[in-house]
Amino acid sequence: MSPFPAADLKLLGDLIQERFGLTFEGVRQEILAARLGPRLRELHLDSPRAYYEYLRFHPQRDAEFARLPALVTNNETYFFRETRQFEILVDHVVPERRAGPGRPLRLLSAGCSSGEEPYSVAIALQNAGHAPGRVWEMDACDLNVERIARAKEGVYEEGSLRACDADARRRYFSQEGARFRLRDRYRAGIRFFQANLLSPGFAVERGAYDAVLCRNLLIYFCDAAFEQAIGLLGRALLPGGYLFLGHSESLFDRTTELAPVVVGGSVVYRKPPA
Amino acid sequence: MTASTLTPAQRVAALEAAAREPGAEAAILAALEDPAASVRERAIKRAARYLEPSVLGALVADGANAVRRNAGLSALDRQGPYAVPHLVGMLGGQDPELLLFALQSLSRIGHAAAAPAILPLLEHPDPNVAQAAIEATGKLRIQEAVPPLCGLLQRDLWLQLAAIAALGDIGHPDAVKPLMAFVPDSILAEPAVQALRRIAAPESLEPLVPLLFSVRERSLRDPVLLAVAVVIDLHPDPEPMLRRMERDVVVDGGNLATYLGQLLEAPPGEGDADESDSLLRAAATVVAAAGIAELQPVLLARLARDAASQWIEGLFTRFPERLTGRLAELLRHPDQDVRCGALRVGFFSPGDVSAVIGHLADPHLPVRTAACHALGRVGLDATAPLLLERLRNGEPPEQAAAAHGLAGLSPEVLGELDGCLEPGTAEAVVVEALGVLARTPVPGLEPRVLALAESRSPGIRLAALRAASRVPGSRAEVVLMRALADRHAPIQAEALDLLVRRGGEKSVTTLVAMLGTADSLRFHVIRALGHCRAQSAAVRLRDLFSQCGPHEQLQIVSSLLRIAPAWLPQFLLLRLESPDLDMRRAAAQGLAEGAGHEHLPVLRALAEDADWDIRHSAARGLGRLRTAETRDLLLTLARDVESVVAATARAALEQSQAAVSSAA
Repeated sequence: MSPFPAADLKLLGDLIQERFGLTFEGVRQEILAARLGPRLRELHLDSPRAYYEYLRFHPQRDAEFARLPALVTNNETYFFRETRQFEILVDHVVPERRAGPGRPLRLLSAGCSSGEEPYSVAIALQNAGHAPGRVWEMDACDLNVERIARAKEGVYEEGSLRACDADARRRYFSQEGARFRLRDRYRAGIRFFQANLLSPGFAVERGAYDAVLCRNLLIYFCDAAFEQAIGLLGRALLPGGYLFLGHSESLFDRTTELAPVVVGGSVVYRKPPA
Repeated sequence: MTASTLTPAQRVAALEAAAREPGAEAAILAALEDPAASVRERAIKRAARYLEPSVLGALVADGANAVRRNAGLSALDRQGPYAVPHLVGMLGGQDPELLLFALQSLSRIGHAAAAPAILPLLEHPDPNVAQAAIEATGKLRIQEAVPPLCGLLQRDLWLQLAAIAALGDIGHPDAVKPLMAFVPDSILAEPAVQALRRIAAPESLEPLVPLLFSVRERSLRDPVLLAVAVVIDLHPDPEPMLRRMERDVVVDGGNLATYLGQLLEAPPGEGDADESDSLLRAAATVVAAAGIAELQPVLLARLARDAASQWIEGLFTRFPERLTGRLAELLRHPDQDVRCGALRVGFFSPGDVSAVIGHLADPHLPVRTAACHALGRVGLDATAPLLLERLRNGEPPEQAAAAHGLAGLSPEVLGELDGCLEPGTAEAVVVEALGVLARTPVPGLEPRVLALAESRSPGIRLAALRAASRVPGSRAEVVLMRALADRHAPIQAEALDLLVRRGGEKSVTTLVAMLGTADSLRFHVIRALGHCRAQSAAVRLRDLFSQCGPHEQLQIVSSLLRIAPAWLPQFLLLRLESPDLDMRRAAAQGLAEGAGHEHLPVLRALAEDADWDIRHSAARGLGRLRTAETRDLLLTLARDVESVVAATARAALEQSQAAVSSAA
């Protein structure tokens, strides 16, 4: 049980939801308390309410808001997580979408964290003989500016490679002490940028992408933010384009033009063809 | 756009708008049947707040519409104590289904006032109703139900099972004997033991312990072990039974020890993790409490090896005599982890010190570290040179342990720490030595401490400031105040906290003077004055209020709440008129904390505020007053659309009820 009053945590949770669309209701309040405890101690603040007031009014609030997403969200990710979806992308989506006009496929990794997901996709595509630039190009964005910087750097700790066997480590990475640098050839074709999907200023090109991966991100969103994000991602897809969600996420009971379809034995969501 | 074409989010918005208009009831009732779960959930919150229990009861009675029925039940649950009179009234009805729903809802709400209406239903001819009534007595922990529940233990199986579980929930020792009658030779033995575990009555230790030896089937032995462990934990004096157990283990032929050993050495991750962990802890409790010699090394090694097993230390601390006679042997054990564990939990007298000292030279770092801790626990001044040597030359964990041990010795023997503070000494040693002086000041070393507060190293400066805060006199105060302008912000904040802890009128005077500066430190100064509860600063803070930015204004309100000057309520009432919501919230919170009966009109208004946090403060304030009028207001807040407001109001009502009961 959290040592902080529930009302204080709700006050702070509401502010985070308003700003980022991330929800910390119910049992997730405990998670919020656990993740923010160390930061409160650093700032010599004795309650989430004091931190709320800091975020609302302190002269350094903008800098604090900038670091907040990294403090409260889980950046748990690793290379080749839920690889079945990459196989579907490579085996089904790419061949189908390439039958269209002669242009590279455009992909979006939304909520890409420190780059493990888009780089895994890039490796899967290259292993299937699909060259970056000519066959595909990818945008990758995340709320957190530090994670985007790490993604651009392409250097990872052991934990990010937990699903990589020895052969994969050798082929895709060069070891630098205790860390692993992704080889340059797998870094081509991806454009990283910082963005908040829910920010009024965030505008993706309408009808721009053949496939969007947005996995294990929507679980943090409140209902309104979820609807907003799905609407935005739906608009970003080309007619007939695909949306990949995490295994614990679905569009059940949601109003959306995206329809569930079974591809390669898994459920993905598709925008109706033109 | 018609309702059917609106998105769920738009339908929620439409519901919120309609709920504020005349005819809201129809809109809420319609939304309770919305196809989208998110809309229904919002409608249930509104229904709980704005519809009467009788209206919701009618929804529950509508057997033809499961959606309405479920929504009605959820809304009644959310109404909590407000719905209790209606639900209790429903218990006088004839429809078994409605009786069932009312009993389940009362169980979830958890209101003991329903007990008189529930007890007669224990004998209801409909077995489902009787079972729900039995379960309700358990959930509500109705003590008066124990005799009739014991009577039900002779009825048919389903009612027996429900009664056993309810007796476990109620936790009354009168149930021990009837429940023991099912153990070990009945199909109800396992649930009966589980109920005994929840009751955890001291009376059950004597009949349960022999079963730990005699029962061999894991399906029953495991629950018996869990029950025995809990009873030992909560027993005020388990010693006589434990001594008997220690003797029985010897003549048992190793059977119990083998069983417990398997549990202690089970690799993690096998089977149900929670169940395995519970059994591990129960086995450890029995081993430590009964002093099972052959398994003590296993337990000690686990303590030393596994960072997640620190709870084992508490077991040995509770039953130290079980280890005392075997300590010398355990300290010679070939396994370094056993030696380490024994040093960590052993109780050593000054006469045992020589047995510990030898381990300061153990080849294994954890053993040496544990030896430093053990010496620290003995607290013998003669060990100071040994601990000082480890502080100077040990590895970091030893240094920290030695410093901890030294801090427990007399200041007279700590003069030698001077050598650890000399220029050129490794920073880690200096910092640890200063840590000792922060806990145990040594007058002769004060000049050295104050000089180190000017060190170029931020780590040493910080440690020296902590030590300096224990030094009496104005020189130390000057050092701390100078640190308020340190180039490292964390040191500034620490210095401020140290000044606050140090207290004293001079510190307050200096802090008040610092209010004149408008830099980033002023926020912390305002906070520090609050923590000092500096009465002399109250007026200055009030006067400063209008010259500050909002973050400092809110901090002024917080600090004044701590200082609590006589004029604070008037100050807060003025802040309630602020156009800024957060200022109003802060003021409402302050009024709630210090509310007196004269503030009832204000609290009543706050209870109807549009902002949930202000209503929440009202609930807290009303909870402090405990009058008949506040009870009505709290009943309304107890069904607030915001769960946190409702929960606080309910807690206030329960405390008020408990106060009335205890007065009666």
